[in-house]
Amino acid sequence: MLPAAFLDIAGAAKTFGSTAVLGGVDLAVRRGEFVSLLGPSGCGKTTLLRIVAGLTAADAGRVTLDGLDITRRPPHRRDVSVVFQSYALFPHLSVAENVAFGLKARGTARSSVGPTVARFLDLVQMGAYADRPVKALSGGQQQRVAVARALAVGPKLVLLDEPFSALDRRLREAMQIDLKRLLREVGTTAIFVTHDQDEALTMSDRIAVMNRGRIEQCADPATIYHRPATPFALDFVGTSTRLEGRVVRTLGDEIVVTTPAGLLRAPGHYLPGSPVLLGVRPERITLGDGGGNRVEAVLVDASFKGARVELHLTAGGAPVLVEAPALPEGAAPGAALTVSWASADTLVYPAGEAA
Amino acid sequence: MRNRPDPVALLALPALLYLGIVYAVPLAGLLVGSVVRPGGVTLAPFADFFRDPFHWTVAGNTLRVAALTTLVCLAIGYPTAVALARARGFAQAAILVAIILPLSVGVVVKAFAWQIVLRRDGVVSQILVGLGVWDEPQRLLFTEAGLVIGAANVFVPFMILPVYSVLKTIDPRVGEAATTLGASPLYRFRKVTLPLALPGIVSGIAFVFSMTASMYVIPSLLVGDRFQTLATLTGRSFLFMRNEELGSTTAVVLLALTVAIVVGSTSLSRRLGGSS
Ligand SMILES: Nc1ncnc2c1ncn2[C@@H]1O[C@H](COP(=O)(O)OP(=O)(O)OP(=O)(O)O)[C@@H](O)[C@H]1O
Ligand SMILES: [Mg+2]
Repeated sequence: MLPAAFLDIAGAAKTFGSTAVLGGVDLAVRRGEFVSLLGPSGCGKTTLLRIVAGLTAADAGRVTLDGLDITRRPPHRRDVSVVFQSYALFPHLSVAENVAFGLKARGTARSSVGPTVARFLDLVQMGAYADRPVKALSGGQQQRVAVARALAVGPKLVLLDEPFSALDRRLREAMQIDLKRLLREVGTTAIFVTHDQDEALTMSDRIAVMNRGRIEQCADPATIYHRPATPFALDFVGTSTRLEGRVVRTLGDEIVVTTPAGLLRAPGHYLPGSPVLLGVRPERITLGDGGGNRVEAVLVDASFKGARVELHLTAGGAPVLVEAPALPEGAAPGAALTVSWASADTLVYPAGEAA
Repeated sequence: MRNRPDPVALLALPALLYLGIVYAVPLAGLLVGSVVRPGGVTLAPFADFFRDPFHWTVAGNTLRVAALTTLVCLAIGYPTAVALARARGFAQAAILVAIILPLSVGVVVKAFAWQIVLRRDGVVSQILVGLGVWDEPQRLLFTEAGLVIGAANVFVPFMILPVYSVLKTIDPRVGEAATTLGASPLYRFRKVTLPLALPGIVSGIAFVFSMTASMYVIPSLLVGDRFQTLATLTGRSFLFMRNEELGSTTAVVLLALTVAIVVGSTSLSRRLGGSS
């Protein structure tokens, strides 16, 4: 990690009762960066955010923000705003008063509160609603107010805990674009929690894939997708074909693995006899006999995805997933198909690891 | 558009009938009795009542004791309600039982218990002497302070429960949001928690104030005859002095004062809470 990280979480650990929720999490975020925490329900995403915000005390670890150790600093003196999943707007205040709250709490000059509130309400396109009570807003509107409220104070860092999970798909996609634009305009560093992989892939500069209280991989979206570091990351982000096998011999920088689908080649250095797990992304597999790894499979099912077709095949009892531009001529369930992919596109993991 | 009655409102009918029979009818009788004299309707009894300085003292006693008791109940009850709303599982059940169970102990029993506690050689006196607050043992029994302490004990659940029921509906994230926006604990309390808890506090105040203003048994047992409130005076008028005119007058004065103060303070605090 670069020493110049804007936010540096080191060894954050938390146990509730007898369950270890976070087991020593390290995460470094650069100034202005947008990092997503992606992981299944209960993996500790909210707990990690609350530790950064100071709302939950960690059992161990250190949080440094902008060169200051804030581990023991109370939440109201951290300059870290939070957008909660439930929005948590102040129900007794109007839209404008909600956005003004943090400015007033910090003793901002009265003359600059009004213009700042107006500016942020305009940024989230809620200017017309300034005097409405927040109870009379739709979910998407409340969400915008919550974002405006969090950003209006000019925080060093904004933490967003699944802010779009209550919105329908179209609104959610519109909000993703809006939020990205807004954060870029304001220049705020952000950590964004989600368990929606598409959301994470679309929005993030980097994604931290979390599993059971640990960060399994933290990298840019393309690396996360094309080079998942663990079987969990392979599974959780995107779809794939997974084949368990055993190394039979090595060929320079490649290994040959025996799998239910046949002998396959993959990059890597493993001792012969080692159990391994192979993974291939569906769009890397092509119909026909092109790549270094060739598999005879039987079509089980094809589903139409608009621009692409998703083919479910089996090879030697193992499911194989292929994304193709179109269904091959005359292919019906039961048809035999040859598929292939480059051996360099095969992902290899030591087997026995928890997936 | 015609305003059709909400059928759900019919559910209030049994309670209305019941209150009508046991409350509204006698109350109307009392009100009528206080202004109807042989020879017509007159407000003279009230004029007479307020000409007597003793009655001003009595009204003052009533309001002062009610106000002090309400304050004590608020000071004790609010933190208790916060603790109750934060507690979970067994702790919460235990606190609730501790609050509600004493309600099943009769007021007379409690008043007698306080008689023992507030004596010159009672626990309170001994503790205060032991702590060096008092130089020598003193009697709290038969004093106004003793009355307020005893009354607060009896009525504090009626402060705790409405405040608690409002506090527990407040999303804890709302307070956390205020904190992360830079609000100090005090600022957060003034601008978020208090306004949101206000409806519960107002009903707690209304309960405790009206109940203490009209309590009869507790002052009878804890201060005795030399200290009169409107309620004890009403009781004496009817039971001992057989002066029903005075009794109904004091009863109506008490009612009017209580209603005025409860309604007034409610609307005042609403107004204060509404502006930020
Ligand atoms: N205050 C608490 N007391 C006890 N256990 C808790 C507490 N907060 C969280 N947990 C537990 O810690 C684990 C992680 O919770 P956390 O809320 O961080 O998960 P998450 O990744 O945010 O999940 P989700 O996607 O469902 O929001 C869960 O098993 C949860 O039950
Ligand atoms: Mg969560």
